[in-house]
Amino acid sequence: MSQIEIADVAIEYCRPNSDDTFAAIRGVNLAVDKGSFVTVVGSSGCGKSTLLLAIAGLIPRSRGSIRIDGRDVQGPGCDRAMVFQDASLLPWRSVHGNVRFGLELQRWRRDDIDERARRFTELVGLAKFADYHPHQLSGGMRQRVNIARALAVDPDVLLMDEPFAALDAQTREVMGNELLHIWERDKKTALFVTHAIDEAIFLADRVVVMAKDPGRIKAIVDIELPRPRSTAMLDSAAFTGYRHRLRDYIAADIQSLQLVGDAA
Amino acid sequence: MAVATDYARRRAPSIGRAVDRYYGALVSTGSVVAFLVVWQVAAARGWVNARYTSSPSQVLAAALDIARHDDFPHHAWVSFSEFSLGFAAALGIGLPLGLALGTSRRLRLFVDPPMMALYTAPRLTLLPILIIWLGIGAASKVAVVLLGAVFPIIVNTMAGVRETDPRLFQAARAFGASRLDTMIKVLVPGALPAILLGIRLAIGRGVLSVVVGEMFVSEAGIGHQIMNYGEAMQVGHLMVYAFAISLFGYALTIAVRLIEDRVRSWRPEP
Repeated sequence: MSQIEIADVAIEYCRPNSDDTFAAIRGVNLAVDKGSFVTVVGSSGCGKSTLLLAIAGLIPRSRGSIRIDGRDVQGPGCDRAMVFQDASLLPWRSVHGNVRFGLELQRWRRDDIDERARRFTELVGLAKFADYHPHQLSGGMRQRVNIARALAVDPDVLLMDEPFAALDAQTREVMGNELLHIWERDKKTALFVTHAIDEAIFLADRVVVMAKDPGRIKAIVDIELPRPRSTAMLDSAAFTGYRHRLRDYIAADIQSLQLVGDAA
Repeated sequence: MAVATDYARRRAPSIGRAVDRYYGALVSTGSVVAFLVVWQVAAARGWVNARYTSSPSQVLAAALDIARHDDFPHHAWVSFSEFSLGFAAALGIGLPLGLALGTSRRLRLFVDPPMMALYTAPRLTLLPILIIWLGIGAASKVAVVLLGAVFPIIVNTMAGVRETDPRLFQAARAFGASRLDTMIKVLVPGALPAILLGIRLAIGRGVLSVVVGEMFVSEAGIGHQIMNYGEAMQVGHLMVYAFAISLFGYALTIAVRLIEDRVRSWRPEP
């Protein structure tokens, strides 16, 4: 049985000053197997972050069901943890304090909080920076803290919303490698939203391509590259093949929109 | 090697370095000393009428006289207790109200018009009413301190809450934070620098309020004494009391500023 089951999900918003509704996503069906790494790509506005926030239980859905291990998602829960884009760390807390944050909110025992915060700070390679504040860290280091904060609460499902979007290309590659390295230790089910095609292929067992107007799933591509992955694979024929396929899907989406624009 | 030696020499302690370190304090002390000297000389030489301006030596003499014949501790205590009660009430009302106003748009819309009217109106004009209601004793002074101090606390707390990054609330919510958790772990620490700023501004207003309240009508207190000595044209004595209350406000402000510096350590340098 799949760990995450998404059936016919729609999320609609009212347009301001009218009775019209606007669908951020519509008719989304997706199953994510336990222990798999799934990435979601698409051009901006395709609703990929909206889908992730709905799985996190942070925004209500208008229709459909989202189940995790068979339980319906009603709101945020201990079974999921979220890694956000930059700037979601508490600026007044140290690295250690930020990693403690989720543990404190989920009412872990005091001893466990200290022990786990230390362990996961170490895991992401920030032991020496435990007492630093976010403004003293680089963007890459801040995202390590973000990842440590999510992993520390021992979630069944790890949700990541463009965690490396604010990083430069080199740092991004390094972080992708390290994320896989950490993930391969206990293979938690991971759902990772990005707009970078290479990143999506490199990390994933399966890439979900989304298209917009309305936001929907356009294609699902299984990535059959061996693990552990290495950056050398980026130039392999198989990788290039996946890259072309995905690029075509996404380009078609952008083009069709332009045609609509021209017609109008 | 030569470079290393040169570097070591430059870092060696010297008089120049000591002067550097205390430069600010030296200049500030210099300005105070210069002012006292000019004041003393001007009064002694008759450039100004010392009857109106007094002089440092007269103020010193007045201080000794007050220490011997006035009940200074009593007056100081009266003012201090009025200030403290009023300020405590201002904190007790201002902090929760500011937090609530920062979080709830509906409450903000509801409370904003009367609050802004009170905030911008010169509140000391309400003094006669407060005295009619509460009498000439401590209660009217407590009320006027409360009125003076509560608004900077409310307004700054509210601003601090509203400036807190909404992404932090979302992160807290994703980890299952309750409303109370969010309040304690995100809202208050995020707004703390603004809250402390509000408290610092409120101290100045509170001190002003208690003195003016006592000057208007009262039975005891620093302001009461200032008014008495003013009517008796005893400028030296008046200045001793004025100096005492200024020192009190200044010391409190500095104390809050020290806390602010500690709290702001997590912020990048502006």
